[in-house]
Amino acid sequence: MIFEIISTGLLISACLAIFLDEAIYSVSALACTFFFTSLLYLLNDAIYVAIFQFAVAVGTLAILFLSGEMLSTKSENKPSVNKLLILIFAGALISIPTILLSISNPSIVGSGIAFEEALWDLRGMDVVFQGLVLLTVALGTAIILYEKKRRA
Amino acid sequence: MDFVILSLTMMAIGIYGLLTKRDLLKVFMSVELITTGATLNFVMLTSSLGKGLGEAFLILAFSTDTVISGVVLALLVIVCKKYGTSDINEILKTEQKEETL
Repeated sequence: MIFEIISTGLLISACLAIFLDEAIYSVSALACTFFFTSLLYLLNDAIYVAIFQFAVAVGTLAILFLSGEMLSTKSENKPSVNKLLILIFAGALISIPTILLSISNPSIVGSGIAFEEALWDLRGMDVVFQGLVLLTVALGTAIILYEKKRRA
Repeated sequence: MDFVILSLTMMAIGIYGLLTKRDLLKVFMSVELITTGATLNFVMLTSSLGKGLGEAFLILAFSTDTVISGVVLALLVIVCKKYGTSDINEILKTEQKEETL
């Protein structure tokens, strides 16, 4: 149950970090995201990674707070309660598949092989990375073509 | 509860922010979310398999990510000071105006 609550909080804070307009509020939401991530690592017995993530997050956030303050246009608009509630609701809605669905089913990959095992031991990760690289190249090409067409 | 879906969702939020937001700081934060989602997946995989070496590599990845973040933020501040705005469209417009002059 604790994992579900933390992942819901993680996704809500990620949504807030992206969609809040004011830089300081979004950096604060990003701080919550890093904190929840660190908590997830800690609960999953990855203690060293959790500590390191926490330390790294503190450094990154300090720089982000400073640069956010430097770059913001000094408009102290507080986010409206309605927008905040909508964002929290959207984040909670997005986290439903995370809680309910499961793709780590051994029957998906093959007999007797867990999904994680296939990714880590059977070089499935390489295939995933190659797919990501191809996707990035395709996306970049599409953007360049779109920009060329727009300028022409 | 599945951490693969959680990390994919986080990456999807980050990619959405990367494609739609025009503010440089937001773009940088979207990239941070994408990397956090990716590392979350790897940490959960290694910890569930009990492989300490994977965690060691991830710590290395974390430190590299932080250094890159510092450099990118420094460049971001320089760009914003030069053009007076952090909006990508505004920066492109100013650049095009300078080119035509």
